[in-house]
Amino acid sequence: MDTAENIAEKPVLRKPQKPFYFNTSEHLLRIGRQRASNLLELLEALQTVPDDSIFQHTFRTLQEHHFIRQGFSNDFAHWSLFACNEPALAEQLASVDVREFTAIEGLRRRMVEILDEFLESHKMSGSRPAHEPFYFCSADIVVLPTAFCADTLKAFLDGLNQVSVHSIHHHFIEARLRLRRMSNDFSQWLEVEVGLAEAADAIERIDIYTNTMEGVRRQIARIVSQAMN
Amino acid sequence: MSSDDPQTISASSTVDTPAPAEAAGREVERRSPHLPRRASDRRSARPLPASVLTPPAPPPPPHLDDYKAIVGQSQLDTLRYLAKELKGKTIKMINSTAVGGGVAEMLNRLVPLLSELEVPTHWDVITGGNDFFEVTKAFHNALHGAPYQLTQAAKDIFLMYNEQNRRRMQFGEDIVVIHDPQPAGLVLSRPQTPAHWVWRCHIDLSNPNAEVWQFLRPFVEQYDAAIFSSQSFTQQLSIPQYLFYPCIDPLSEKNKELPDSQVQEICDEFGIDRSRPIVTQVSRFDRLKDPVGVVQAYKLAKKYVDCQLVLAGGGASDDPEGAAVLQEVKEAAGNDPDIIILDLPPWCAVQINAIQRASTIIVQKSLKEGFGLTVTEALWKGKPTIAGAVGGIPNQIIHKLTGVLVHSVEGCAFQIRYLLTHPEFARSIGSSGREHVKENFLMTTNVKRWLLLFRILEHTKGRRGQVS
Repeated sequence: MDTAENIAEKPVLRKPQKPFYFNTSEHLLRIGRQRASNLLELLEALQTVPDDSIFQHTFRTLQEHHFIRQGFSNDFAHWSLFACNEPALAEQLASVDVREFTAIEGLRRRMVEILDEFLESHKMSGSRPAHEPFYFCSADIVVLPTAFCADTLKAFLDGLNQVSVHSIHHHFIEARLRLRRMSNDFSQWLEVEVGLAEAADAIERIDIYTNTMEGVRRQIARIVSQAMN
Repeated sequence: MSSDDPQTISASSTVDTPAPAEAAGREVERRSPHLPRRASDRRSARPLPASVLTPPAPPPPPHLDDYKAIVGQSQLDTLRYLAKELKGKTIKMINSTAVGGGVAEMLNRLVPLLSELEVPTHWDVITGGNDFFEVTKAFHNALHGAPYQLTQAAKDIFLMYNEQNRRRMQFGEDIVVIHDPQPAGLVLSRPQTPAHWVWRCHIDLSNPNAEVWQFLRPFVEQYDAAIFSSQSFTQQLSIPQYLFYPCIDPLSEKNKELPDSQVQEICDEFGIDRSRPIVTQVSRFDRLKDPVGVVQAYKLAKKYVDCQLVLAGGGASDDPEGAAVLQEVKEAAGNDPDIIILDLPPWCAVQINAIQRASTIIVQKSLKEGFGLTVTEALWKGKPTIAGAVGGIPNQIIHKLTGVLVHSVEGCAFQIRYLLTHPEFARSIGSSGREHVKENFLMTTNVKRWLLLFRILEHTKGRRGQVS
């Protein structure tokens, strides 16, 4: 039951000036020319491959493996563990949260730093052949509209529950590269257009590495529903 | 067969598809893969159930909306949107066989779905004589790494038939897709057409015979783009290379949902006891699938856990090597009544489906593999899957997340024991495996990849050859 106090705490919901257009992105994987057969070659390639290759093996691979709740972070960490048998390095690479970066360059620098430091203290590991090479790939990406456009919170929830997980990934994870801000499209819209700053903040704090993308969708929906009631 | 023998139930043909040399269009005596084999072909140790002796009528191909319950409306909307942007564009697909083989099977589903999406797609098949298909079969094996001495005569035969087909065919479409090496030489028509040309390579080129690859490479580099089934199958090329995983059709007889009563009925017919754990490998009797290694792993595991082993495949009845391998498997199995060996005809898709669904664990302990579609089938059924870490399999099985990878008989045995005694972990990887297939290896994803590629190519119109 609402009390005078918590009624006062409730945010004032605004009618959005701009609707939220749910888009989605699809990609076609392109096999690059660079490959690494050991960790030294990985380090060298990490410094020279195009941005879209770093994007593919970090941001994009999360979409491809959106159904895994734990144990998959990025392709570099996965390869370090299963092809190079370097669990400590894998843990460090896996701990990098792509959402801490608003540009690929920073993410690339962080990966290079971790690998460089590791190889400084594990000199024998650098040239040890991996079980299988790392093939650098990138993606041709196409952004597409969906059938959903929300001009009310109810319509937003409706769209959120019906779009594909690719759309969730597009708006929730890849958005920061577009926005160049530590935020996502959902939080931006909820805060700026509807005045739900706390809900926007709570959504931004959802842990993508211990959730499937369906789990992320459910958490966002729960936060929005609670804010509505 | 004594009652103690491993149960061997056999028929007459292979479960796998014919080699390229057995292609349609070939001017040789052919026997339809859909006709029952002669009784004299059979090496049955025990008669097959009557239900599998004759091929069933093929079901009608599914429509796009039939996939809605599986992939969701949003995925179908994406396909329709991508297709809408291609309105008016036409596609030609060319391969070397209309029936038999994974490529023909895939095209049989892909072409109608593209047409339903109003992207008119014409499918054409090259023709050739015995000599052509003998050469291309040798090329196929050589590209997989087999030793081969390329002769001028072989080159001449390859070029002559490609030239014949090139003169016979029209290339008026916007995009021409050539499948595999047999018709690769058709690209010589590219300068006379405005079309984009794409080469779809379905075979593993990671370790090709150098002579054959050097002969084919100049053709391949005339295409606008090439498509491979795994990163590890590629060669360094001057053209963009894309990754398309082979896919399965969730609505096919091999993969559609089955009522439990039907699964039970089929298991009863084959003497499979569903009240006890079932470990299954589905593959033809081929040394590269290591069926003897699977028997050894099962025997090691059985010291600790109770289970049955089902080896379901074909290839023993019309392939001398397959028959020899089947014999080796029977010898390795010894007199264990819990080993059930099924040599099935190629039309037993529903039976394979039911056996996979009844299984507790599925194994694909290949020693060499292109892209193991049986692995995808197992994952799609949510089964905890153990597979050899070879070829394209690591794309399908992310170790300990969507299945488990093994490198030895001992490793396979340990994983059988582990999965049978840790059902929660087994369920978890089975469930992730199914999601992995849903995301990456279904027919609808394949259609999406083609539409994306066509769109990307069309956006480079006027800049042909500069796709990247």
